[in-house]
Amino acid sequence: MRHTIVLSALLAAVLQSGEAPVVSAAEPAVPAPGPANAQVYFIWPYEGTVITGGKFWVRMGLRNMGVAPKGTAVPNTGHHHLLIDTGLPPLNEPIPNDRNNLHFGAGETEARVELPPGMHTLQLLLGDMNHVPHKPPIMSKKITITVR
Amino acid sequence: MRTLFASLALLALFAGGPAHSTDAPANAYCYIGWPNDGQVLAANKPFRVWFGLRHMGVAPKGVAFANTGHHHLLIDTELPPAGQAIPSDRNHLHYGAGETETMIELPPGRHTLQLLMGDADHIPHTPPVTSKKITITVK
Repeated sequence: MRHTIVLSALLAAVLQSGEAPVVSAAEPAVPAPGPANAQVYFIWPYEGTVITGGKFWVRMGLRNMGVAPKGTAVPNTGHHHLLIDTGLPPLNEPIPNDRNNLHFGAGETEARVELPPGMHTLQLLLGDMNHVPHKPPIMSKKITITVR
Repeated sequence: MRTLFASLALLALFAGGPAHSTDAPANAYCYIGWPNDGQVLAANKPFRVWFGLRHMGVAPKGVAFANTGHHHLLIDTELPPAGQAIPSDRNHLHYGAGETETMIELPPGRHTLQLLMGDADHIPHTPPVTSKKITITVK
């Protein structure tokens, strides 16, 4: 029922704008191509930032590409993943979803994070509609911050 | 039932699109991460504008996903009327591919910048999700 409404609305929008339809089906697993000049980076914090208190907002920057929620097949888009205190996951399968690999599948561009005192590493990795890294993968530098 | 939906879709098609706007979380807001209010920028040099969005997500145009929208940058203009698609012109730049930053260049003088989210159909949400309007000087 809701599906039908959404579909009709989408159809109407598509017919009206004369644009390619937006497919939101969960199709398997060829990684989406990433533009060669796309770049994901931390707007904040920076390498070496010292944070007092442990709660902070991470602002996720993306250049030459767009953000789209999971399940959205629009070319040259993806969604953010924040890797905390971990290395890169295997790049040809979906990014794990756990305390060290946070997903932002609703298209968020900032994240509220709380970390215990100590040194921590943060890295951003973009995932396609199926949470698989693009080809080539779009990732930020890994930064180290200190919480105290 | 099917016929009803079909007619609704057709109606939407001929009436110039769905006129309702999408709900936004009450605490969602945009902000311009850079430049700052009052910033003075060099003329003849493009500068980057950072689009901040809190308590909501970004989705390209045409994507109906709950609590998302796409950015529009209003330059030297007021907020457009609610309930209608945001105009697309030199004063209303659309970022329908889900962009979260842009490079722009403006002529010397004072300019205002403001962000406004639009839904899948470029219509502002209810309530509208906007940033503070900032003033910058190019010289």
